[in-house]
Amino acid sequence: MPVSRRFTLLIACIAALAAFPLLVQDSYMRHLLILVFIFAVVASSWDVSLGYAGLFNFGHVAFFGIGVYATGILARKFGVDPWLALPAGGIVAGLSAVLVAIPVLRLKGIYVVLVTFAFSQLCLQLVLSQSWLTGGAAGLVRIPPLRLLDYNFARDGKFAYYYVALVLLILTIVALTRFVKAPIGRGILALRDNPDYAAARGINQAIVRVVVLVVSAIPAGLAGGLYCLYFRIAAPEVFSFGTAILILSMLLVGGTSTIYGPVAAAFCIMLFSEYLENFPQLDVYKHLVIAAVIIAILRLAPDGLSGLARRLRI
Amino acid sequence: MSLDAFASVLLSGLVLSSLYALLASGLSLVWTTLGIFNFAHGALMAVGAYITWQIAQGLGDTYWIGIPIVLMIAVMILLGALLEYILIRPFYGDKNLILVTVMTTLAALTFFENGIQAVWGPRLKQLPPVVEGNVSIGNLFTVSSHEAVVIVVSPLILIGLYYFLNHSVTGKSIRAVGQNQKAAKLMGIHVGRSFILTFGLATALAGIAGAFFGGLRLMNPTMGSEPLVKALIVVIFGGLGNIGGTIAAAYMIGFLEALLIYFVGLYWTPSILFLVMILVLFFRHEGLFSSSPRTTT
Repeated sequence: MPVSRRFTLLIACIAALAAFPLLVQDSYMRHLLILVFIFAVVASSWDVSLGYAGLFNFGHVAFFGIGVYATGILARKFGVDPWLALPAGGIVAGLSAVLVAIPVLRLKGIYVVLVTFAFSQLCLQLVLSQSWLTGGAAGLVRIPPLRLLDYNFARDGKFAYYYVALVLLILTIVALTRFVKAPIGRGILALRDNPDYAAARGINQAIVRVVVLVVSAIPAGLAGGLYCLYFRIAAPEVFSFGTAILILSMLLVGGTSTIYGPVAAAFCIMLFSEYLENFPQLDVYKHLVIAAVIIAILRLAPDGLSGLARRLRI
Repeated sequence: MSLDAFASVLLSGLVLSSLYALLASGLSLVWTTLGIFNFAHGALMAVGAYITWQIAQGLGDTYWIGIPIVLMIAVMILLGALLEYILIRPFYGDKNLILVTVMTTLAALTFFENGIQAVWGPRLKQLPPVVEGNVSIGNLFTVSSHEAVVIVVSPLILIGLYYFLNHSVTGKSIRAVGQNQKAAKLMGIHVGRSFILTFGLATALAGIAGAFFGGLRLMNPTMGSEPLVKALIVVIFGGLGNIGGTIAAAYMIGFLEALLIYFVGLYWTPSILFLVMILVLFFRHEGLFSSSPRTTT
């Protein structure tokens, strides 16, 4: 697709999403889209490490969870202003990515999956065991919401949070696409596709891996912070298999190494999952349907939705 | 530590180790041969336990629980073969094989956990013990007979597996496929058949672990997730692609866990286990006992 057409499409999408709450009066739809935006941020930032860098980082959801808890603990236990606690979630996630990077630097393939998976389980166990700080299995509740002077974001039918989440999504997409198009982004691709040649050209794999993990962790941490301030609760479920499966399926169904693909898939999966709610008789079978659909998509469209779009020349 | 406490730590360590060894050897076998990591392995353990329960219900109380277990093993081998066909076979030769199969096995995990809930409901169930009553050795140990069976039978199964893999033609061909797929094919080994067999075997091992587990504790649809995570630690600790190392690691981790629970308590134990695992990966990339690891890219 030509650049100008892509740009027009992008602007049209943003305009439509910005106008959406004014046109549709249903606050539940706004709630749904806030979730879509937050998960889309997590999925598209995961794409940087998993897709572009080809690093089987399985702990990405842990960065999201770390953002949730960092913001929650700062706002609830230390009385930090939520507007400061939110970026702090991103910063803490970025710092923890440096920690994860240390063992990851020397590993390859499946071992990266295992060590990052262990990291996310370690986070979960720490959250569960340190209940004086994290609320343990019950989670942290009554986290203060965002406010602007006297305007309480939690009491306006989800308008303000909708726009905050939308802005976060747009900033993430812009930042990540610029990152992967920058010289270092080229280096990342080179390291993925031909590590020996890239190393011979002077690209430092260790530094690139640290940068990739930090860059992909920060938006996830910010999304976690917003998730926490929006629901006003930090629960250990954010570290669970379920969350990881949901977001990973967005990434793979959307198509890796695209940034846009996971965002589109976040819309499709959340709306499809919501559509299935119309059939209450499905009950637990809903999850069976979703699992089967994911396997079918991976099988029929190996490059995901974006690969499908490319083949159909949209 | 008093002698009594030591005996109970030793005992729970042995029971845990045996279950981990059963579960982890299946994971390791699939990894070595097919080159994928099966995240549905723990859910398959739960499926095995529930199928055993269902068959036992169907047969009635008059039959010994061993019969449902044997029938369950047959069902699990078929299920494993089917899963290989649906989840893994289509993606062979795909450059993203590891990633795609992580996703398909995770999808299978949700499928089975929710499927169990849909079929058998969320209520807790329990399997009868394999053997009723208690066994005491001297005045020190008193174990339930079921635990004694788990402690004795699991190593026997694993020794059987070891001999199968090292001394039978089929077993050797499975290992050959794991070590060098192309060369194995040139030697006339049917690669696809080895894959199906491996997956079936691993699934059956998970089922046996499930049946043993169901006699020890209450069963629920997500009963497999915690043992899976432990099996994962074991497999990494022992080095992927090395059945002997996996079994040794299972016993080390089982005892370590029992000791940690005794000394530092239930809350810190999982965190320390994960830390140990990350440290092992940090200092020995491919596990403690790995000799000739599968090349990974």
